[in-house]
Amino acid sequence: MSEDVLVIGGGIAGIQASLDLAEMGKKVYLVEKKPSIGGIMAQLDKTFPTNDCSI
Amino acid sequence: MEEKLRIGVFVCNCGTNIGGFLDVPEVAEYSKTLPGVVYVKENLFTCSESGVNEIKEGIKNNNLNRVVVAACTPLTHEPTFRAACEEAGLNPYLFEFVNIREQCSWVHKNEREEATQKAKDLVRMGVARASKLEPKDRITAGVIPSALVIGGGISGLSAALSLANRGFKVKLIEKEKKLGGLVKSLYKIYPENINAEEYINQKINEVKKNKNINVFTSTEIKNVGGYIGNYKVKAENDKGNELNFDIGVIIVATGAKTLSPEGLFSYDGKKVIDMLQLEDKLKNDGISQYKNFVMILCAGSRNNERVYCSRICCMSAIKNALLIKEKNPESKIFILYRDLQAYGTTNEETLRRAKINGIRFVNYSLNKLPEVEDNTVRVYNEILGKELLIPADLIILATPLVAPEDNENLSKKLKVTLDENGFYLEAHIKLRPLDFSTNGIYVCGTAHWPASTEESTTQALGAAARSSIHLEKKYVMVEPIVSSVYYEDECRGCGLCASLCPSNAIEMVETPKGVKAKVIEVACRGCGICGASCYRHAIRMNHFSDEQIKAQIRAFLEE
Amino acid sequence: MLDAGRHPNIKIMAYSEVEDAKGEAGNFKVKIRKKARYVNENICNACGECIEKCPKKAPDSFDMGLRDRKAIYIYFAQGIPAVATIDKDVCTFFLKGRCKLCEKICKKGAIDYEQKDEIVELDVGAVVIATGLEMFDPSHLTQYGYKRLKNIITGLEYERLINATGPTGGHLLRPSDKKLAKKVAYIQCVGSRDLNNCNYCSSVCCMYAIKDAMLAREHDSESDSYIFHTDFRNVGKWFQKYERRGKDEYGINYIRGRVAEITEDEEQNPVVWYEDTIERKVKSLKVDMVVLSTAAKPSSDAEKLSKMFGYELDENGFVRKNLPYPSDTTVPGIFACGFSQGPMDIPESVAAASAAADRVMETLAGLKLKKRA
Repeated sequence: MSEDVLVIGGGIAGIQASLDLAEMGKKVYLVEKKPSIGGIMAQLDKTFPTNDCSI
Repeated sequence: MEEKLRIGVFVCNCGTNIGGFLDVPEVAEYSKTLPGVVYVKENLFTCSESGVNEIKEGIKNNNLNRVVVAACTPLTHEPTFRAACEEAGLNPYLFEFVNIREQCSWVHKNEREEATQKAKDLVRMGVARASKLEPKDRITAGVIPSALVIGGGISGLSAALSLANRGFKVKLIEKEKKLGGLVKSLYKIYPENINAEEYINQKINEVKKNKNINVFTSTEIKNVGGYIGNYKVKAENDKGNELNFDIGVIIVATGAKTLSPEGLFSYDGKKVIDMLQLEDKLKNDGISQYKNFVMILCAGSRNNERVYCSRICCMSAIKNALLIKEKNPESKIFILYRDLQAYGTTNEETLRRAKINGIRFVNYSLNKLPEVEDNTVRVYNEILGKELLIPADLIILATPLVAPEDNENLSKKLKVTLDENGFYLEAHIKLRPLDFSTNGIYVCGTAHWPASTEESTTQALGAAARSSIHLEKKYVMVEPIVSSVYYEDECRGCGLCASLCPSNAIEMVETPKGVKAKVIEVACRGCGICGASCYRHAIRMNHFSDEQIKAQIRAFLEE
Repeated sequence: MLDAGRHPNIKIMAYSEVEDAKGEAGNFKVKIRKKARYVNENICNACGECIEKCPKKAPDSFDMGLRDRKAIYIYFAQGIPAVATIDKDVCTFFLKGRCKLCEKICKKGAIDYEQKDEIVELDVGAVVIATGLEMFDPSHLTQYGYKRLKNIITGLEYERLINATGPTGGHLLRPSDKKLAKKVAYIQCVGSRDLNNCNYCSSVCCMYAIKDAMLAREHDSESDSYIFHTDFRNVGKWFQKYERRGKDEYGINYIRGRVAEITEDEEQNPVVWYEDTIERKVKSLKVDMVVLSTAAKPSSDAEKLSKMFGYELDENGFVRKNLPYPSDTTVPGIFACGFSQGPMDIPESVAAASAAADRVMETLAGLKLKKRA
């Protein structure tokens, strides 16, 4: 049995899931099809409801 | 005693990112003239493997006791360079990063000479600061492997079960006599239309059966002391017994309640009732005598007194309207709304189903509220430009979820913040929705904001994950960039720092010299508010001390 | 993002796709195709010199094609990993067999034209699906004139225009004549709540339209905004306050009504035709630019992945959330979070991600106990 985890998608959800799992001691593979992680959120200028960039 | 300074400076070209816009050899040459500098090296890329090796070799071969890298931003490579120092046997907090890329070459692309001069200034300042740096060790503290969950509704039950199933001990405290919270009062849970009572009872049974969970009903929190990993919690039950718990992490799942409909739309509890009373009637087959139903949404919300939208009322109204139709297909149901919050996939689907099933939706505006009269509701519909008179045997008000008054009290004990509506305020509204800004305490469910059963469950499991990070690790580690009451004699114990600290990292302690502030290092996040506010200058920020910053400023003014 | 890049327990495999999967909870075997970047990830440090010299251009997909990037490019400046990638379909060397300028320029020797796609096999105990969203393409909704009329853009294109590092340096310059757009209309529910397209509410568009209009005003005090909405759906924490601020402090005009058609005058100014539901009249509004608040759809990979792993999707292509465990898919050991489960905003996605992580931990802990017993 393997205790490693595969996370598919490197947007905000995938990043958060990876970080939580990694912090809980799991080895995580974070797979993203684009050349770098960040997802749609990286493309946004600012985000509601506080209008900061938050990435 | 003081060791002689042996500073090494590494100046990065970053390919041409720095070297293309300012004279790196000149900056390197200049660095050699600075006080304490015994070794200077120019790198093509300091962050590359060869660059990092050059740092390590530089430290070893020249007995360096401080390292300055002039390159890009600490955000990218500070950990790389600190690690290089550590590997070469130098304390990583004797490293100083000077940014000559983002803050110099990139912003002065057409001013080579000035950029070179500025880089020299920055390096001189960095070297001055480095000479005042002190070795520091990372701070660690143990974590008691148990969690306190406050609140025994669907959120608290879900969080407790998840933690317990992973082997952690959980104390679950509920101030009411029985577990179950708001869900207990519902007829069916949307959207699956699960029988609410069966569902919540099953969860309660699972909790009660679980060996890792201790349930305390009719119990309230009296006092919370300590800090992340090591909370001392005092509680009291209705028999007056005091309970003491040693706790590692805390989850707040205290829920919400519905706004009392008293005084709204001629509420009388008989003909005009609220949504919870309707749930009760549905549960007990109490709707067969009615034919004409009118539901009024936003009763007491989205107005000037209570600006917010309670998120779940539209869908619970539509859910119940469909359930009425199911029981009594002949019934006529009007839903008076302002904006139908059928967000997402399932909600929109349900709304469409409601329309197909003949449920009528009438828009009204805040300027002209519906009026309840005998057996009718009068409502002005903007789209038709007409007033409608709708026959009504039973009028149901969808009042919003509001924060329980008790939040005020409990939040003070936990030293966490509430928002302007009395709900608990998270650390960051987007990126840390389940954390408090105080490390070690988490929030989920309607204690945070109105949420559906499904949303509350998601948050509860999320909060379980967030809190369990510390339980899994068994220790908390923080960087030694924390505040310290360095000049303790100066402290007069006024407590200003403790009251301003957003992380609850300062406690006032009795000492032989009187009351003094004391920093709980594992809880401190090094923001510096205490240092800035201490009028006695008793508090110093480790790694950003006055001496270090003054040295930097003096160096800037030198030339 | 940076934290993920640094975490010793996280291996980021960007520019990679899942190729094949089999197995069950506790024991999945997954094949990942690591696409060739033709740049050695371990050597490249994103200094950007190759990019500067590269002679070949292509539309920049990160900037929604609003400007060009080079054939060798960094997807976006703060991206992780910070490395260059060669777009083989555009690169002169791959097309014509000559150039190799980037190789000559790279002092670190990171360029590797011989690099091949690599298949990596992973053994994992659990999988988290977080494939997110894609924006709906409104081209076929001819009434809105997207791509047919010049000054009609989508919400995501707007994000790039208003961004200081974007193609216009943060100035709201309209496509036809690069003049500052002062009067802007935002059209809601483009593709959303539409039986023929996305048969659901995308949940985030009302709020992002308000935000867009606020930003326009912050960039230009004379900007004038009109949001045409149906139900105005702002249900999250502080969203109603935000909606009010939009109106009271930023002077945004909220108009209830679906837009029937967008035409254009002789100066390429869009004209929005709508029904004023208060006055019950058909009206028109001439603006400088129109922003379509387009629907968000499941990622184009969602279906492929669901077939590969065998879990079910709902009729819209999302992973349906169900009680008692909203993060669980129909296959044990596979969990989902974020927009792959249906429309949700950032905090909901973050909470759902933590919940999925929790379910992974609980599942793996359970499997371990079982194995020991």
